[in-house]
Amino acid sequence: MKVQGQILLAAARGQVWDLLTDPAKLAKCLPGCEKLEAAGPDRYKVSVKFALAAISGSYSGAVELSEKKQPESLRIMLEGKGTPGFMKGEGRIRLTEKQGQTELRYEGEAQVGGMIAAVGQRMIDVAARRIIQQFFDAAAAQLRSSVPGA
Amino acid sequence: MATATKYIGKPLKRKEDPRLIHGLAHYVDDLVLAGMLHAGFVRSPHAHALIKFVDTSKAQSAPGVVAVLTAEDVRGQIGAVPCAAVLPDMKAAPRPVLATGRVRFVGEAVAVVIASDRYALRDALDLVDVDYESLTPVVDPEKAISKGAPVLHEPSPDNVAYRWELEGGDIKKAFKQADKVIRQRILNQRLVPVAMEPRGVLAEYKPGEKTLTVWSSTQIPHLLKTQLAAMLGAPEHSVRVITPEVGGGFGSKLNVYPEEAVIAHLAMRLGRPVKWVETRRENFLCTIHGRDQIGDVEAAVTKDGVLLGVKWRIVADLGAYYQLLTPLIPTLTGLMLAGCYKVPAIRIEIIGALTNKMSTDAYRGAGRPEATYYIERLMDLIAAELKKDPAEIRRKNFPQPKDFPYATPTGVTYDSANYQKSLDLALQKSGYAKLRKEQAKLRKQGRYLGIGLSTYVEICAMGPSSAMPAGGWESATVRVEPTGKVTILTGASPHGQGQETSFAQMGAEILGLTPDDVHVVHGDTAAVPYGIGTFGSRGTAVGGTAAYKSLIKLRDKLAQIAGHLMGEDPQKLVFGDGRIWSKSAGNKSIGLIEAIGAAYVAKTLPPGMEPGLDATTFFEPSNFTFPFGAHVCVVEIDAETGDVRLLKYVAVDDCGNVLNPLLVEGQVHGGIVQAVGQAMFEEAVYDEHGQLITGELMDYALPRAGALPWMETHRTVTPSPVNPLGVKGVGEAGTIGATPAIINAVVDALAPFGVRHVDMPAKRERIWKLMHEAPPRRAPRAPAKAAARRQAGRRAK
Amino acid sequence: MIPAPFEYHAPKSLEEALRLLDRHGDEAKLLAGGHSLLPMMKLRLAAPRFVIDLGRLKGLDYIREEQGMIAIGAMTTHAEIENSSLLRAKCPLLSETAAAIGDVQVRNRGTLGGSLAHADPAADYPASILALEAQMTMNSSMGVRAVDAAEFFLDMLTTQLRPGEILTEIRVPALGKGTGAAYCKLSQPASGYAVVGVAARVTLAAGKLAQIAVGVTGVGPKAYRAVNVEDALRGKKASEKLLAEAARHAARGVEALADLHASAGYRSEMAAVFTRRALERAVARAAGTKA
Ligand SMILES: Cc1cc2nc3c(=O)[nH]c(=O)nc-3n(C[C@H](O)[C@H](O)[C@H](O)COP(=O)(O)OP(=O)(O)OC[C@H]3O[C@@H](n4cnc5c(N)ncnc54)[C@H](O)[C@@H]3O)c2cc1C
Repeated sequence: MKVQGQILLAAARGQVWDLLTDPAKLAKCLPGCEKLEAAGPDRYKVSVKFALAAISGSYSGAVELSEKKQPESLRIMLEGKGTPGFMKGEGRIRLTEKQGQTELRYEGEAQVGGMIAAVGQRMIDVAARRIIQQFFDAAAAQLRSSVPGA
Repeated sequence: MATATKYIGKPLKRKEDPRLIHGLAHYVDDLVLAGMLHAGFVRSPHAHALIKFVDTSKAQSAPGVVAVLTAEDVRGQIGAVPCAAVLPDMKAAPRPVLATGRVRFVGEAVAVVIASDRYALRDALDLVDVDYESLTPVVDPEKAISKGAPVLHEPSPDNVAYRWELEGGDIKKAFKQADKVIRQRILNQRLVPVAMEPRGVLAEYKPGEKTLTVWSSTQIPHLLKTQLAAMLGAPEHSVRVITPEVGGGFGSKLNVYPEEAVIAHLAMRLGRPVKWVETRRENFLCTIHGRDQIGDVEAAVTKDGVLLGVKWRIVADLGAYYQLLTPLIPTLTGLMLAGCYKVPAIRIEIIGALTNKMSTDAYRGAGRPEATYYIERLMDLIAAELKKDPAEIRRKNFPQPKDFPYATPTGVTYDSANYQKSLDLALQKSGYAKLRKEQAKLRKQGRYLGIGLSTYVEICAMGPSSAMPAGGWESATVRVEPTGKVTILTGASPHGQGQETSFAQMGAEILGLTPDDVHVVHGDTAAVPYGIGTFGSRGTAVGGTAAYKSLIKLRDKLAQIAGHLMGEDPQKLVFGDGRIWSKSAGNKSIGLIEAIGAAYVAKTLPPGMEPGLDATTFFEPSNFTFPFGAHVCVVEIDAETGDVRLLKYVAVDDCGNVLNPLLVEGQVHGGIVQAVGQAMFEEAVYDEHGQLITGELMDYALPRAGALPWMETHRTVTPSPVNPLGVKGVGEAGTIGATPAIINAVVDALAPFGVRHVDMPAKRERIWKLMHEAPPRRAPRAPAKAAARRQAGRRAK
Repeated sequence: MIPAPFEYHAPKSLEEALRLLDRHGDEAKLLAGGHSLLPMMKLRLAAPRFVIDLGRLKGLDYIREEQGMIAIGAMTTHAEIENSSLLRAKCPLLSETAAAIGDVQVRNRGTLGGSLAHADPAADYPASILALEAQMTMNSSMGVRAVDAAEFFLDMLTTQLRPGEILTEIRVPALGKGTGAAYCKLSQPASGYAVVGVAARVTLAAGKLAQIAVGVTGVGPKAYRAVNVEDALRGKKASEKLLAEAARHAARGVEALADLHASAGYRSEMAAVFTRRALERAVARAAGTKA
C-alpha cells in the first residue's frame, strides 16, 4: 500500500527536524506508542498498540532513521510483529521552508501481513491514513506547545 | 446391460441423505477419544522469509500445553510431502512437513502446539515467537520465470518447475494456409475449493497392538495409508486410515498434507490420541488451490471458420511446493486442448512456475475446465471475428459420430460421442433461434442480453493405470451375508457423490433384492480392499464396474448353487423378488435365501465348489471415458452497474448410461454452480507481498442461491465402450461445460460495445468499465431510460 | 476460531450494565447481537477483557409509537424491524432496510443498536437513519443525552458514543401522507454488505419536492447526508431528468473507499446510480403511483 501526503506545520524547519529525530518527542507522536527506547544509533525499539474502535493490534519492533540530511530529509522505517501478524512501513520525509512554516512531505510503502491483511483489506487504507493523520496531529500539537506565539 | 430394469436407471432418493439432514452423520470433528489432545499450527504470516529462530519457551510453559515442536524436533522422523507426478526434467521442490529454515508461502506451518483442550491450544499458539527475516516474494508467475526474480528452490534457479511440450500435425503448414490468425490471452484465475467441511485429522496409536489409526477427511484413504507409512517409517500393515463422513472435497482432499503426517506422528510420539481440525482461515491459506493459468492462444483458421491449427502457451502457477498432483494438472489441460473439434495441428507449451503462494492442485475438473474454457472462448472469438454464429462455427469443426474412436493430435483417443446431437438438443431446448431475435429486439431498447454456448468434451473415469501416476484401477468386494443382506465394499471413497445409493441399486438389480438389502461400505482401509479413491469422475465408471463385476461373480455362483438344488441349468435362471426363477419350467423357483444358506452351511453345494459368498474384483479400465455435452446460458447485463444476471441455463450432458438420474442431475447442478463461481464471483487474490487478501468468506465470494437461474438439464445417451456398464462419469461435467458458456454469454452481451473477451470473474466493475470505456465510435447509445428503470425496479431491495 | 479469554457479565438492568461499563472502562465491550463483535473476537482482532452482554437485559427491545415518532429500543433485532407491522405502516423505510441486511440468521441476531454503534462503513441502517433524521438516545451513569443522526457518525467505526455510554433508543418519525421513502442497495457479492446503499425520503407538496433527505452508506468511511443532492432538488418539481442530474452529486466531496469489490471511482459512480434509483422510488411512493 502506497502512502503519501503533505502537511504544513507551524514551526521552523529545525524544530520539525528536532521533533522527528528526538526519540522522546517521536514517541509522543506515534499513535499508541507504549515504549520507544534506543537500540543503537538512530535505531529504537518500540512497542505500539494500534486501535480502531474495537479492533486493536499490539506490535513490537523497531524504528530506524536513515539517510539523514539535516534539516531537509530523512528516511523512516518502522517494523513490528504481533499477534495479528506483522507490519512494515518505510518512507521518505522531506521538509521545506514555507514562509516561516515547514511543509512536510512524505511518501512511502506500508505493508501488513497476517490476519489483518486477510480480513481487513477494505479498511486498511483508511486506517493507515488515520494513523498517519494522528501522527501529524500529535506532531503539530507538540510543535504548537513548544513554539511560543505560534 | 439389461433393458428392462427395476432399479438401475431409476431416480431413487439418496440413502445417505437422512443421516446428513438429521445431523446424525459423523465428521472428524465429531469424533472424541478418551485422553484426546488437540493440536494446532503456528503459521507464517510472511510469503517468503528466513526463519531466524523459533522461541517456544513461553508456549511450552502455558497452562494445558503438552508439547511444542518445530522442524528441528521432527528432523529425520517425518518424510517430505509426497508428489506422485513425475514429469520429464521436473525440478525438485520438496516440502518439509514443518518449514525448515525458510517459509515460502503465507500459512506454511512453522511449529505445532499440542494441548489438552482447544482453548488452551488457541491461546498458546499466540505465544510461539518466530523471528523472520523477510525475503522478496515472487507472486506473479510470469515475473517469477523472468530473469532476476528471487529464487524459491535452488534446484530451479529460474523458478521453472518444468516445461511440457507437445506437438501434433504440421503446425507450420497450418499457419501458412491460414486466412486468419486469431490471438488472445485467456486467464484462468486462482480459486479456493472451499469444501463445506474443512480438513481434519485424528490419530490414535495403540502401543500394545502397535497400530496407528488415522481418521482423516480425505478422498483417498488407501493412498494416504501407504504414504503415511512411508513418511513415518511405519509398517504399512499397522496403519489404518478411516474416512468418516467427508463434507465435500472437490479435489482439495485428493492429497496428502503435512498435517496428516504430523498428527499421526504426534499420536505415536505422545502415546495419546491427537486431533487437528482446520479453521476456515487455514482452509483458505493451506489447503490446495485450483486453476491459476495464463493461456496465450494463436489459432489458424480458414475464412469459413475451419480450424487449421492452434498454438497454446500456458504458464501455470504451481505455488511454492508440489502437493500430490500439482505438476500434473496443467498437463491434463494440455491433453484436452483440442476440445471436441478436429484440430489438424497443435503445438502446446506449458511452463510450470513456482511462486510464493499455496500450491495449486486438482480442483473439480482438474485441468479440463481450463482447457475447455480456452478452446470454447477461442471458438467464440473465431465466430466473432468472422461474424458467424457460434453454433455454426462449432458444428463446422466437430468430428462426425462415425469418426469414433477419435484420436486427437494431443495423443488421446475419445471413446464415443455425437456432438452434433447434443448441440442440436441444447439449441432446441433453449429456443436458441428465438433468443437471438429477442436479443436483437432488446438491444434496440438499450438492454443487453447475452447468449453463450459451450460444447465440451472431457476426460473421465481416471483411468487406465498406464496413464495414472499411482494406478488407475479400482476394487470392490461384494459379500452376501448369511441372512441375505449384501455388503458392497468399495475401494473408491465416495464423499457426497451418492454411490451408497447407486451401488445398492446395482446390487438389488443383479441379485433380485431391494436397495435396502444392500449396504455400501467405503473409506476404511481395514475393512475394504485396497483402492485408489474418488476423483476424476471415476467412482462409478471404475469403482462401480468393479462392484458390478463382483456382483456378477456372486450371481453366477448363486445360480450354480440354485441350479444344483433345483436340478436346472444355471444359465436359465433369473433373479427377482428375493427368489431365483427358472425360465424354462413355469413358476418354479427357490428363495434366494436357500441358495445363500447352502453356500454357508455347505452341505448341499455342487461338488468341488468353495463355500462362502464373497467376490473381489480389481477392475482395470482399457481407456478413459470422454463425456461431452452442450450448454446454453442466457444473461442480461445491467448497463448502469455492470451486474450480470443469469436468466436461463440449459445443459445437455452425455455421460453414457445412467445408474440414477437424480444423482446425475445433482452432480450437473452442483457443477454448474461451481462454474458460476469461477465465471462470476470467485478469485483468490494475493497482493504484491504474497498476502492472500481474499482470506475468508467476507471477501471470497461464492455463488449464492439468489444468483442462480433455473437450470434445465437434459441428456443424450452414448454408452461408453470401455466398461460393461457403459457409464462415463459426470462429477465434473458441470464445471467444465458451464464456465465458458457463462463467459461466452457475457461477452456476447457486450458485443455492441466492441468487447471480444472478458476475464473471469465477470465482476460488475470490470464489465461496467468495458461498457463505459468503449471506444466512442463503436459505443452504442446510452441505455434507454425505460430499461434502466426496469432494472432499478428489479434490483432494488 | 476461539476468542482470547474474557470475563463475561450479563447484567439484568440498564443501571447494572452502566455500572459495569464504568468499572471496566475501555477494557470492556458491550455485546448485543454479536454479529460484528464476535467475528472480530474470534479472529482475535478484538480482545476485550470484559464482555457485557446486553442480551439478558429487559426493556431495550421494543418498537412503539410516541407522539408522532416511533421509538425503537437499541436491542431490537433486524428481523423484528423487518417484520414490525407498526414500522411497515408508518416508517416502511426502516423495514425495507432491515430486510436488505445479510441473511436470515444475521437478521435474527443482529440489532439496530449494535449496527449503529459499530458504524461499519458498509452497514445498511446508517443511510436510512440519516435520511429519517433519527434521534439517538444514549445513557450513561451521568444521565441521558440525545443527538441527531447527522451528528452521530464521526468516522469509520467511530460514533458519538463515549466510553461508559450505551445507545438505548432510536427515534424515527412516522411518515405522513405525501411522503415516500426507499432504500436501494448494491450488495457486496461475498459479505452482502452495502458497496453502496442509498436511502431517500421525499415529501411532495403541490407537486414539488418540499422536503428531501438522502443518506448514503458504503461509499465513504462513514455514512453521510448527500446535501448536494438535496440542495439540487429542494423546492423543485420532480422529473426524471432532475432526479438523475441531482443524483450525480451523490459522492461529491467524499473520500470514497476502495477495496477488491469496488474502486473509489466505481463506488462514486454507483452512488449516483443508486441515489437516482432510490429517489425515483421514493418520489413514486410519495405520489402514490407505485408501492
Ligand atoms: C455474515 C454477516 C453478514 C452481514 N451482512 C450485513 C449487511 O448486509 N448489512 C449490514 O448492515 N450488516 C451486516 N452484518 C452485520 C450485522 O448487521 C450486525 O449484526 C451488526 O452490524 C451489529 O449488530 P449486533 O447487534 O450484532 O452488535 P454486536 O456485534 O454485538 O456489537 C457491535 C459493536 O457495537 C457495540 N454495541 C452493541 N450494542 C451497543 C449499544 N446498545 N450501545 C453501545 N454500543 C453497543 C458493541 O460493543 C460492539 O463494539 C452482517 C454480519 C454477518 C456476520
